[in-house]
Amino acid sequence: MRRRLGLGFCLAVGWIGLVLLAALLADLLPLARYDETLAGPPRSGPSLAHPFGTDGLGRDVLSRVVHGARVSLGVGIGAVLLGLGVGAPLGILAGYRRRATDAVIMAVNDVAQAFPALVFALAVVAFAGASLRNVLIVLGVLGIPSWVRLIRGATLTFAEREFVLAARVLGARDRRILWREIVPNVAVPAASYAFIGMAVVVVAEGSLAFLGLSVQAPTPTWGGLINEGRTLMEDAPHVVLAPSIAMFLTVLSFNLVGDRLRAMTDVRESGLEPVRQAVAAGPPAAAHPVRDTLLQVEELRTHFVTPRGVVKAVDGVSFTLDRGRTLAIVGESGSGKSMLIRSVLGLLPGSSVRDGHVYLSGDDLTTHGPAEMRSVLGRRLGTVFQDPMTALNPVRTIGTQVMEPLRVHLRMSRRQARDEAARLLASVGIPDPVRVLRRYPHQLSGGMRQRVTIAMALSCRPDVLFADEPTTALDVTIQDQVLRLLHRQREERDMAVVLVSHDLSVVARWADEVIVMYAGKVVERGPAAQVFARPRMPYTEALLRAAPRLTDPVHHELRVIPGRPPDLAGLPAGCAFRARCGYAQERCAIETPPLSAQDGDGHRQACWFPLEVAGPDPATAAQLTRPPAAGAPAPENASGVESRGR
Amino acid sequence: MAGSGKAHLRPRDDVLLRVEDLVVEFPAGRGRTVRAVSGVSFDLARGETLGIVGESGCGKSSAARALVQLPPPRSGSVRLDGVELTALRGDALRLVRQRLQMIFQDPVSSLNPRRRVRDIVGEGPRVWRLPGDRVDEVLEAVGLDPATAAERRSHEFSGGQCQRISIARALILDPEVVICDEPVSALDVSVQAQILNLLEDLKARYRLTLVFIAHDLAVVKNVSDRIMVMYLGKVCELAPGADLIARPAHPYTRALIASIPGGGSGLPPADTLISGEPPSPVSPPSGCRFRTRCPSAAARCAAEEPQIRQVGDDHWLACHYPALPVSSKE
Amino acid sequence: MIVVHRLVRLLVVLVVVTFLSFALLNLLPGDPVTQILGLSATEEARAQLVRELGLDQPLLVRYLDWLGGLLGGDFGTSYITRMPVGGELAGRLPVTLELLVAAQIVALGLAIPVGVAAARRAGRALDQALTALSFALLSTPVFVLGVLLILVFAVTWQVVPATGWTPITLDLGWNLTSVVLPAITLGCGQFAVYARLLRTDLIATLQEDYITLARARGLSPRRILWRHALRPSAISLITAIGLNLGALIGGTVIIETLFGLPGVGRLIVDSIFSRDYLTVQGGVVLISVGYVVVNFAVDLVYAAVDPRIRRA
Repeated sequence: MRRRLGLGFCLAVGWIGLVLLAALLADLLPLARYDETLAGPPRSGPSLAHPFGTDGLGRDVLSRVVHGARVSLGVGIGAVLLGLGVGAPLGILAGYRRRATDAVIMAVNDVAQAFPALVFALAVVAFAGASLRNVLIVLGVLGIPSWVRLIRGATLTFAEREFVLAARVLGARDRRILWREIVPNVAVPAASYAFIGMAVVVVAEGSLAFLGLSVQAPTPTWGGLINEGRTLMEDAPHVVLAPSIAMFLTVLSFNLVGDRLRAMTDVRESGLEPVRQAVAAGPPAAAHPVRDTLLQVEELRTHFVTPRGVVKAVDGVSFTLDRGRTLAIVGESGSGKSMLIRSVLGLLPGSSVRDGHVYLSGDDLTTHGPAEMRSVLGRRLGTVFQDPMTALNPVRTIGTQVMEPLRVHLRMSRRQARDEAARLLASVGIPDPVRVLRRYPHQLSGGMRQRVTIAMALSCRPDVLFADEPTTALDVTIQDQVLRLLHRQREERDMAVVLVSHDLSVVARWADEVIVMYAGKVVERGPAAQVFARPRMPYTEALLRAAPRLTDPVHHELRVIPGRPPDLAGLPAGCAFRARCGYAQERCAIETPPLSAQDGDGHRQACWFPLEVAGPDPATAAQLTRPPAAGAPAPENASGVESRGR
Repeated sequence: MAGSGKAHLRPRDDVLLRVEDLVVEFPAGRGRTVRAVSGVSFDLARGETLGIVGESGCGKSSAARALVQLPPPRSGSVRLDGVELTALRGDALRLVRQRLQMIFQDPVSSLNPRRRVRDIVGEGPRVWRLPGDRVDEVLEAVGLDPATAAERRSHEFSGGQCQRISIARALILDPEVVICDEPVSALDVSVQAQILNLLEDLKARYRLTLVFIAHDLAVVKNVSDRIMVMYLGKVCELAPGADLIARPAHPYTRALIASIPGGGSGLPPADTLISGEPPSPVSPPSGCRFRTRCPSAAARCAAEEPQIRQVGDDHWLACHYPALPVSSKE
Repeated sequence: MIVVHRLVRLLVVLVVVTFLSFALLNLLPGDPVTQILGLSATEEARAQLVRELGLDQPLLVRYLDWLGGLLGGDFGTSYITRMPVGGELAGRLPVTLELLVAAQIVALGLAIPVGVAAARRAGRALDQALTALSFALLSTPVFVLGVLLILVFAVTWQVVPATGWTPITLDLGWNLTSVVLPAITLGCGQFAVYARLLRTDLIATLQEDYITLARARGLSPRRILWRHALRPSAISLITAIGLNLGALIGGTVIIETLFGLPGVGRLIVDSIFSRDYLTVQGGVVLISVGYVVVNFAVDLVYAAVDPRIRRA
């Protein structure tokens, strides 16, 4: 959360502090009187006696700018406090109470916002007098509707959160919830708005002064000074420039501070194209044969350079995949399985670096430029993502979206594309496809949307379909339908499928081969049935047994994997799983185990002490596995926290 | 399925929570309402865990929130130890909420990002001005080290640890009933097992009564004494976990079990047990709400809503054409 | 149905706003009678004029009278100039509207391509330059910018006139030269706001799964930005345009003063000083109608841009 606020922020705060100090101490500073005429020769440029020169009446410009700061900052800070003081409580009330309270407050706010600000300001200032207090009140009041709107919006985002509900369940009163749960969260955006608001008010005061409607002469104001200086622009530009620059810097500083505060709560920013491309530092890739297979991934690495260190999201992954086969990639969140897919497809965020090779029918995709890559993506490699709610563009019709790859890649006419799109939707089991083409994503259920994204991925008859957690966001009965659909499509189209999932049991039924990932590395690989029934890597085995199964007895104590996944930014030497492993020995902490085979069946594991005993079912197999070797530390397992004390 | 009725309520002395004909409605725009929970009844004996399972939109979470009156149900009765909660207002309601705590699905959204763990967990006692400081004790009970955890804020913790903090916050008031609304759905498998074990452990230690809600039948079965299956705001089937899995009688329960990878031993493939998508909750089907997806639906299912009846030892069902002989009492 | 509901609500706002301004103007010290007759007028003459102008009626009656006239298209007759207010406004409104439209064209014409280009390569030179420029523009008050532009383009280079206005009906070419500098002055600050908003929203949209999937389908960055990302990222921009337009009708007074344009803003300022209440009231009507129309249009545009809003 806490980020560096940057040099600009410090300079801005420094400038605000300086101006504030000067304004407060204006009378004590060794300056000429701001209203003393002929303090120096009129319209003289900057000199030692008058650092900013003098104006048309020979008054000291520096002194006038410093005194003008009193009005600008006084009005700026005062008006914002007034607006905040009235607007924030109303906004919080409207956002927290909602219903009638909200309706009334917002209706009044609507009227206030529609009321012409200019008429109000002019009327009050012109007739009640342009004193500092009146200007402050006018600008403060004019800001209230915006404050109500902004604070209400901020409140609404928090009032829905579960922690507010939890506080109510604890029996807290509304007042306590507002003060303890809502206000601290709204405070940060409010502080950001306050600074931006001060910038707005300083400019607004300047505008009034420019029109001659702010604090009257002889008191100097920045806007007034600029207006006066305008006539002298040609022979004495410093008279207009000095207050202009002071005002510019002050407004800029307020804006900068406000913006940095807002950025503290904002999302990470990155564009569509990578900022820079470099090569991931890894061991030099060993010479490898390019095999005669559909997809071959060789020593693929994806690293992110972060302030905490290099995050090795994918660290030396290799596999091959043939037509008509399904490869499952399994792992928990943070294991790098999704990043592996994006890495293969070359769809990485800007801050990452990639190394290794991806061969599609012997053709190295990592050497492809963006344009070449685009001719492969969508045409030969299809992709389906986890969440069908976010996988479709909400503002475009299903038809436009399904037709797009057909039009772009296959150059079909609109009519051809529409017919083909309808046929595609029908083939993934969508009833009434012609009608669905005209609909928008939000009008379809989750299962239907996922069918649409599958249809889109299949539209150009890809050779490989990448499905990243395609059913995780779906209900279990729909999940089964979608997995069946993927399997059927694979058969019909003779494609290869890469199926990514966190759930071993989901993939066990549909995959031919399984890769298990942990901390960016492949820790086990082999035929699905075999890995599922006879895992060799302790992590795979633990993962299988940690998930409750329908066949387990009720109140059956689950075996847990103690601890949590390691921090990818600072992986220790040796096996990444060792800290959570019951079988770990000294060697595991020193040497990283390679992916090695025990026999010729294609089943490999990255473990110094693989589980060897065969059994038809991991539940029983696990009881037969050898106990930890003598002297093996198993501190995490011994912790009483993780096991049941019944 | 999707039936009504109260036949399954038990006339026992140790029933702590009794819910009858619960109805929860939400506005759905254009003046329409969605009936998220539509006449659901169940009871909960002291020390028991009731699992509620169903897919998204079945009303399980809405029912849970209606128990703590947030918001209060449209109609129906919620009795805690004989006290009618729906009749309570203001301070009386606040007071009773102490005995009825909740744990939510999203571990991150459940914790105020601006407050320290000590303040989050200690909020309950401060609200009620309870003497003594039990924060360290409950933090230890949920497996967190008070010395390192208490002064930190939620973003410094993983999802599983956040869920432990939520549990600590609920436990500190010594509640009688804890409602767990999908407490492990957002967690990785390995962490999920830790939290499930922890809940079982704490249940025994603090003699809790649990309502455990999840969409994953295997998870629910692991912790529950009885399981209630819901579909589109109605109850389908209610039975002890082992019995429900071994002898599922409702077509929807059977489809649910068969859809679970590696789960449906002895059942036909899931695609022969269920078809299509759930209908819109704004205009649910007449009669039995499951009939639009049910392979054994008949004319009677559209005309007449099935009532809950007994089909086995503590095995209850709302279906006209169940998959089991109705008389199969064991 | 929702459209009608919205419209009724906005009409209520209209009535309340005009009534409030009517009341506010009447509460202010100083009155048109003194303004017309001077301080030395006799009581009798004053009373006569008060009756003549209908100022002896209660506030509500006068308001309803005025409102009734308004519904018939009559804005009333100025107490001071004895000229129909409607005619005066009709002469002024095109100036302000042309200024507004021209400024929006300048602002959007620059903001959309620049915002898109900056978001496409967020963090790179162009993006950083845009951020710096927009901060500078945001922090330059419009009257400072106007003074600078006049100095450069009108005084030094003399490519456009510094002040004055040629109506479009008189000469199109001269009209355009008289609007270009005010439009750039007004448009620059808004360009900064729009470009930043669009950039921020686009960057957020570009993180969405559907954008990654569009890339995974081999679509070109240009196509993704303009066809996929721009429309879902436009909501904040539309809101800002709406708020700006709503606030600016009548808020262009600084520009009008600086460039000597005979617009609505200037008319309102002058009328308040001369206690010409009915003219001010006419200006208030224009501003509130503008606010209502813009708000309504923004709602329609929202629905056109995002189909999810159509149902809500």
